[in-house]
Amino acid sequence: MKLIERRVSPADSPLAITTAMVVAALAAMLITSLLFTLYQANPLQAYFALFHEPFASWRGFGYTLVRTAPLTLIALGTIVSWRSGFGYLGFEGCFVIGAAATSWLALSTTFSFWTFLPLALLLSFAAGAAWAGVVALIRARFGGNEVLISLMMNYVAILIVQYLVSGPMRAPGGVPETALLPRATWLPFILPGTRAHAGILLALCAALLVWVLLRKTRIGYELIVSGLSPLAARFGGINVGAQLVFAAFCAGGLGAWAGTVEVLGEQHRLMDGISGGVGFTGIIVALLARLNPLAVIPAAVLYGGMTVGANAMQRRAGIPSSITFILQSLIVLMVLASDIFRRYRVKLT
Amino acid sequence: MPAFEMRKIVKRFPGVVANRDVDLTIEAGAIHALLGENGAGKSTLMQILYGFHSMDSGSILIDGKPVEIASPKDAIALGIGMVHQEFMLVRRFSVVENTVLGLKGKLDLRQASRRLRALSEQHHLAIDPAALVQHLPIGVQQRVEILKLLYRDARLLILDEPTAVLTTHEKDQLFTVLRGLRDQGRSIVIVTHKLQEILDVADRVTVMRDGKVVGAVSTQQTTEQELARLMVGRDVNLRAVKVPVERGAAVLRIAGLHVRDEAGQEKVRGVTLDVHAGEIVGIAGVDGNGQSQLAEAIMRLRPADKGSIFLRDHEVTRLTVAQHRALGLSYVPADRRHVGAVTEMSIADNAILGSQRKHTKGPFLDTRKIREHAEKLIARFGVRATSIATKAGKLSGGNLQKLILGREILEDAAAMVVEQPTRGLDVGAIESVWAELLGQRERGKAILLISAELEELMNLADRIAVMFEGRIVGILNAANITAEKLGLMISGLSEES
Amino acid sequence: MTSAFFVTWLAASLRLAGPVLLAALGETFAERSGVLNVGIEGTILLGALASFLTDYVTGMVWLSLLAAMLTGIVFNLLLAWMYVTVRASQVVVGLVFNVLAIGIAATVYRRALGESSGPQSVAMFAPLHIPWLSDLPLLGPVLFGQTSLLYLTLVLVGLAHFVLFRTSFGLALRAAGENPSAADAAGISVARMRYIGVLIGGATAGMAGAYLVLAQIGLFRESIVSGQGFIALGIVIFGRWNPWKAALAALVFGACDALQLSLQLGGGNVPPQLLASLPYIVTILAISGLFGGRAVQPAALMVPYAKE
Repeated sequence: MKLIERRVSPADSPLAITTAMVVAALAAMLITSLLFTLYQANPLQAYFALFHEPFASWRGFGYTLVRTAPLTLIALGTIVSWRSGFGYLGFEGCFVIGAAATSWLALSTTFSFWTFLPLALLLSFAAGAAWAGVVALIRARFGGNEVLISLMMNYVAILIVQYLVSGPMRAPGGVPETALLPRATWLPFILPGTRAHAGILLALCAALLVWVLLRKTRIGYELIVSGLSPLAARFGGINVGAQLVFAAFCAGGLGAWAGTVEVLGEQHRLMDGISGGVGFTGIIVALLARLNPLAVIPAAVLYGGMTVGANAMQRRAGIPSSITFILQSLIVLMVLASDIFRRYRVKLT
Repeated sequence: MPAFEMRKIVKRFPGVVANRDVDLTIEAGAIHALLGENGAGKSTLMQILYGFHSMDSGSILIDGKPVEIASPKDAIALGIGMVHQEFMLVRRFSVVENTVLGLKGKLDLRQASRRLRALSEQHHLAIDPAALVQHLPIGVQQRVEILKLLYRDARLLILDEPTAVLTTHEKDQLFTVLRGLRDQGRSIVIVTHKLQEILDVADRVTVMRDGKVVGAVSTQQTTEQELARLMVGRDVNLRAVKVPVERGAAVLRIAGLHVRDEAGQEKVRGVTLDVHAGEIVGIAGVDGNGQSQLAEAIMRLRPADKGSIFLRDHEVTRLTVAQHRALGLSYVPADRRHVGAVTEMSIADNAILGSQRKHTKGPFLDTRKIREHAEKLIARFGVRATSIATKAGKLSGGNLQKLILGREILEDAAAMVVEQPTRGLDVGAIESVWAELLGQRERGKAILLISAELEELMNLADRIAVMFEGRIVGILNAANITAEKLGLMISGLSEES
Repeated sequence: MTSAFFVTWLAASLRLAGPVLLAALGETFAERSGVLNVGIEGTILLGALASFLTDYVTGMVWLSLLAAMLTGIVFNLLLAWMYVTVRASQVVVGLVFNVLAIGIAATVYRRALGESSGPQSVAMFAPLHIPWLSDLPLLGPVLFGQTSLLYLTLVLVGLAHFVLFRTSFGLALRAAGENPSAADAAGISVARMRYIGVLIGGATAGMAGAYLVLAQIGLFRESIVSGQGFIALGIVIFGRWNPWKAALAALVFGACDALQLSLQLGGGNVPPQLLASLPYIVTILAISGLFGGRAVQPAALMVPYAKE
């Protein structure tokens, strides 16, 4: 008799799923620790540095919250678009477009904070929505593959911003970045003694709004039906094309807001490379949260913390911070792979 | 010694035991029918013989020796071939490419075409090796499937519901071919639920019910009634009680409708028809003669090229699906898992599909109203489920259909278009669906019923229109219908205005 | 436009088309079998790194090419497992893999070379000099003055077309991507065909990375790929999943890339970043569907297949 036999249908109790995820995360950490040995570092010490700094000190937690805000917004954008059946991957682009629009407004006007902020949010959302909307239109009108097109658009957006900070928006000097934004545009700090800024509040509100949208509204219902079965959606009188464009607007807008909070809360200027790959890390956070808007928050805090901890790990154990990319992606890959183990059962008799 | 033997086959799927200790014996040079209702387990048994499914326990013997069939590759090597209900053809490939698919060695299409042509002449199965499958009509595609088996010199040919897509004329041709193959010493298994055909062409028949074998007899020594009784387990004459109903005004009027499919081919060529309140108009015809496109056009899931549709005297030809629903038209589609319902969502979510705008409070969904609606639905229509939060995909075919039908009926639309409502359902479910449709008829609704089952149409419809190649070739009154006349019209061999 | 400019431009077009064409050839096999591999971007990066490190240590370009191919195959084995056996979402796995690849490349490169050292150049494939042919005017430098790696690429185009359309293996592979049930019923292992398709994709993607380092730029940097893997995906679509048409599509891309480089060097008022976006915009237009295309893709592309 075989030791391992195939189940008739995969185990899908919450316990089974959670166990699988935890085991997967541990497996990822185990594999990554093998890489630590390349640097003759002690894995336990390295992991301690990785997780201690961002969560154990008040200051470190503040940094974590700074990282969490843009990750959350991008993850939310991923959720709204993907669950509506729009496989949008252009969040790197939306991020820098939102950051650019915000910087432009900040540098060209002299409004007070409470006049400036709503305008900036509005402008940034509109810019991101338009950026993503182009892809939705191409898909709806010509049937183009939004996965590839949105990936391409990322490069276009990054090049546009590169041009802006090397040319029209460049501050005097030689560095490709803008001047420091006026103090009146800076997001206030919310935790004394840390650099945590109000962007996290925006992210939390957005998470709640997205949750309400998808679970409790008619539009959310129609978006989800369109995403699960476009044929059944049309049968039910839903205009799938319009749903797609709406989902794209929301996704692009949320992605742009990620850029806005980064610029107004942390960097206070526009520069080349401002995204740091968050357009993709945010998608990974959404995947880890299994496309659930509320689960995004703990997932984003975890991954945001890892990014902060990576710098500590580099200082203390000499391991390059790029290892966090490996850990963050490996965890999700292992979680995805763990699905296969739920299809089998070990026979012990 | 029997040529092929299956002993004590057991196969389980999630939630159902498809085969329980099934025994089957097939002789060489014989046509053996495997009879059973939808869900009896006959297709599964043959899939196991062909290596598509693995059995949980049991054995297969060929010429008395046990064999292992782990995949179709093994089956083909052992001389077993199968023509599935949904043809296993790559539509973009040519006939000859489909024929040599899976064979090892150098790819020499010219030589293969020659051999194919010779086989086709020998067995009177005319085909063109270079033609692309996507351009061939279904009857010809079936010939390709059979030739594939003969190209590999199959000893055992399994045909799963071969006559479902054929006209009467094509069916006779098929049977002639099968008899010829039998006389050559090959074994043939036909999986079917059509009693008359079994008595026409088979030598022996094995009857299955609920996954078990309930009888194996020679066709000489049995009758249609006995087979029907074995198949269903009781004396069955599926009959519906149709009360005479006063026909009202025309509710749904279709005038000169022309519709194309995705490939640009015209599938509906000038259909004119009306359905009155309190009547069921049936549309008969073999699948593929334009019925689906007609239903989709009426429901605005597909645009009409020419012609008009009127609903209670409003012209609705160019409105959207949502507008059609609002004006009083509802639809039970043929594809219940991909069009009629969202299998990943709960019963409650599916219960409002199409009417979601009516269950709102401002921009929000009214969860209490939705819950009440769903609970009312499953109670009234007998949908067996543990709770309204269960995913619709977990429901059985019959229960899912009751959910969809119930949802559309509760919309209280003046007209309903119903397509293949009882496909794949067991007898109990069929009876309840029929009762619901007749009930709606009595309430004065106008129903357009599209079905490939003649028995269903003859039981339910007041008038039957026959569609052949996109046109209505005749409309008969219930009183003047005979199965023969219908059969001829469906095959395009007779017209009646 | 002088004839010298023209010649330089054409020669560069061919040369720059190399990497995306290589990657697109293998990806054509993967997609024809039914798998969309977005992770191709990451595989190219890892192949580039492997070829760089091998060349740095040994100085032997052909060995470095081989190392890149093997790297591509090994990593795509993981991808194939996730796509075909685990049956996870193909776009998701590919995307996450790209991030993993970036992490691995950065970490290994810095470890190998140390944090502080700058870019190191390595031995490259030299342009061939074929007696008499290379000296022809116009045709000489364009067609006969390229590296042997480019000629190898062109040979692979013909080979790919032959295998895909004139062998039983190619027929079986294509069936797995058009109608996996039919392929299964014919005795073909759909899983095996898809594994092979993805591994072929891995081999050529690795080679594409080697091409970037050994025949184009001459050193390694983390941004060496910059979306060319995604462009290769676009070329597969634009080339209608056909090797010869993919070669033409790659040439169009190469021409755009060469054009924007020449314009940058030639001065002029157009900002260099906007010129650099030209290849991406052209790719977007090509796959937008303005020119048709969706209807021709392998019917079962991205649809996982499971036997019960």
